Amino acid sequence: MRKRWFGMISLMIVLSLVLIACSDDSEETKTNESNNTEETEEKASEGATGGELSIAIPAQPPTLDAQMTVSTAALNIARHIYETLVTLNENYEPVPMLAESVDMSDDGTTYTFTLREGITFHNGEELTTEDVVASMNRWLETSSRAKLLLEEASFEESGENEVTLQLQERAADVLDIMAGQSEFPAIMPKEVIESADETGVTEYIGTGPFQFEEWRQDQYVHLSKFEDYQALESERSGLSGKKEALVDDIYFEIVTDPSTRVAGLQTGTYDIADEIPFETYEQVESMEGVNTHLYFNRTLTWFYNTNEGVMADQKMREAINTALNIDEIMQASYMNEDVYELNPGHMNLNQVNWASEAGMDSYNINDTEKAQELLDEAGYDGEQITIITTRDYGYMYNAAIVVQEQLNQLGMNVEVENYDLATFLELKNQPSEWDMFAAGTGYVTIPAQLLALNPGFAGLDDPTAQEMLAEVRTAETPEDAYANWDELQGYLYDSLSTTVFGHQKDIIATSDNVQGFEPFQAPILWDTTVSE
Amino acid sequence: MFAYIIKRILSLIPVLFVVSVVIFSIIHITPGDPAAIILGQEATQEQIESLSEQLGLNEPIIEQYTNWVMGALTGDLGTSYFMRETVEEAIINHLGPTLSLAIFAEIFALIIAIPIGIIAAYRRGSWLDQSLMGISLLGMAVPSFILGLLLMLFVGVQLQWLPIGGYAPLSDGLFTHLKFLILPAISLGAIQAALVARMTRASMLEVLNSNYIKTARAKGVVERRVILKHAFRNAFLPILTVIGQSFGTLIVGAVVTETIFNIPGIGQLIINSVERRDYPVIQGVVLIVTFIYVFINLIVDLLYGVIDPRVRLDKK
Repeated sequence: MRKRWFGMISLMIVLSLVLIACSDDSEETKTNESNNTEETEEKASEGATGGELSIAIPAQPPTLDAQMTVSTAALNIARHIYETLVTLNENYEPVPMLAESVDMSDDGTTYTFTLREGITFHNGEELTTEDVVASMNRWLETSSRAKLLLEEASFEESGENEVTLQLQERAADVLDIMAGQSEFPAIMPKEVIESADETGVTEYIGTGPFQFEEWRQDQYVHLSKFEDYQALESERSGLSGKKEALVDDIYFEIVTDPSTRVAGLQTGTYDIADEIPFETYEQVESMEGVNTHLYFNRTLTWFYNTNEGVMADQKMREAINTALNIDEIMQASYMNEDVYELNPGHMNLNQVNWASEAGMDSYNINDTEKAQELLDEAGYDGEQITIITTRDYGYMYNAAIVVQEQLNQLGMNVEVENYDLATFLELKNQPSEWDMFAAGTGYVTIPAQLLALNPGFAGLDDPTAQEMLAEVRTAETPEDAYANWDELQGYLYDSLSTTVFGHQKDIIATSDNVQGFEPFQAPILWDTTVSE
Repeated sequence: MFAYIIKRILSLIPVLFVVSVVIFSIIHITPGDPAAIILGQEATQEQIESLSEQLGLNEPIIEQYTNWVMGALTGDLGTSYFMRETVEEAIINHLGPTLSLAIFAEIFALIIAIPIGIIAAYRRGSWLDQSLMGISLLGMAVPSFILGLLLMLFVGVQLQWLPIGGYAPLSDGLFTHLKFLILPAISLGAIQAALVARMTRASMLEVLNSNYIKTARAKGVVERRVILKHAFRNAFLPILTVIGQSFGTLIVGAVVTETIFNIPGIGQLIINSVERRDYPVIQGVVLIVTFIYVFINLIVDLLYGVIDPRVRLDKK
């Protein structure tokens, strides 16, 4: 008897040993990492700065290769690792960062960048013109916007500390494109660029205030302070100017469940919680020891299928646009007036030069009678209209439902088809599958980068719009460019390929022990301290 | 015995083959393009097409499947589209937390369930029996995510006794490791505990009425010994089956619990991979999980023999 019991117990022990061996194996890396943490904690107690900052982010980034991703999760981390030749100041104007100065030739086709000296990469090597040329030329190939807007451009070494950008034709907005945040032209060492494959670079080495340490898939990305960082002396402004790493370590903790992010902030597990859901804003706002930070970050844009189906008829689009009550749509999408604003502009509201209210007459009309007339004129006869959406983004789904409701009341036959994000993205690229959809579109720096004007996004096929965009881009003076954009935005509201429903703020919550945190289009963690 | 094990392991092959074909077909029929997910919501069609090409997604389905099977046979499950690691690495990295959680939840379930089951059977019909069985019914009825959220709210946020989520590996120390696992293990183990408790009670009742128990009592064996040695041991066989099945369920079924408590386990891996359409990872995980499930069943079958000599297999 005893023997058999013994047999069973030993079998179980063997089994658990196997299991423990499995789990031990995977944790080796974390051991090293936790040793580091102890060291940094010691350091932290010595002064005001230092310590470890933990920020809960909603999604795992697909890559940290800033040059080839439009993923917010990736860019928000990459921004701390990499720097660019030029970047945005608080007025969203391009200003030098790794470049000392920028000169444009008289004909506007050649830009010369003089590099700052004494800049080192995280691997200890000095930044050279070769690195810049390799990085920038790769960016011209990987970035969809660079490909679209800077066709056949190229970078070359033109002096000991100088690189030159050669354009085929004049483009007034080159520096704005280079300072753009989506797929940004991160400067990396030449070897890293050369060893990159189609899925991106394999090492994350930049010149920024924080360096890449470790990425535990689906757990966290760990950055540490870069001791040899060469800060600019000029005052911080937007993403430009002086940056200082005031904490020793940053952990971007991947926490997909929003209530866990909030609860973690309350219990001190995280110092910062990114992307607070709109429905919990009021609750988080009223929590003790928690501060909320709001900043405008994207527009909610309504896209019509101008190529196929019922919506290819402009009269139909006018009818719908006339019927919509945008107050209701925005309220349903974002729930609290603090986090949204009704405005027809496609551009960032804080970007005074570009922000435009052209098209106001065609915005939020909410006139059902007029809409009915237009529907009759268009000869609408109960054909089914399909809105595709995804619940992965609650605001997109809510907007779709409210639009459906408003149009159904008008007697239209509107269906909402809800998919997961992957399916939604695939269907969006098949014009036969949809008539309309809502999408949150992140702010861009110049109109040419707008998805509403990008034929590859929702199939916009409009030569007039492209011609007008060319006029914006080649305008002699900035003032002309702004005026041309004003006209173009007005045209977008006449032709109705897209409508901006409004502007949305992102919400970040920080706990009381975080100081100096100031988001700029995204969470920015330099100049930020954390106390125990 | 040895031949039996070999036979059982060989019988795995058709199972794994069918599973692989089914899973491969399902994920490729499902719309959604991994390239679109990698590139993000704002990517244009041109970018998506070029990345699809690079990932080999434009090749004919049959060819993709053959490539994958050939790889799998040589132990190469491919590389994740989304994470910069191979499928084997991804699975190993995510298996640790899941196994820890499953073991811990199972231990929790057994510690609670077996005494409850025995006591309920012994005091059959009493108020104690009825209240214990009432509680276990409740345990089965409350979904683990609700229990999880409630525990998180009271123990984590209100009382702040335990962390509300996250994971620390065993290498951080057993105490730290367990601290993160207590709440998820309770929320995950509760249903299993209820199940095992009811099974124990039923099985014990059957045994307690049998003649050899009467004989044992008549012989004057101490009551505790009658219950634990004579009755429980004989009642254990069906309980073991339930435990084996429930352990399998704990490994694959911790998806929701892992999401709520932010534990980077297999459940999260598979959910994330489905959302990202990370085909190689989905295929790899399903294959491994199937294997584990069948393997656990095999162990359970072998354990039968250890407990009950009548089902021993090597008896000629």
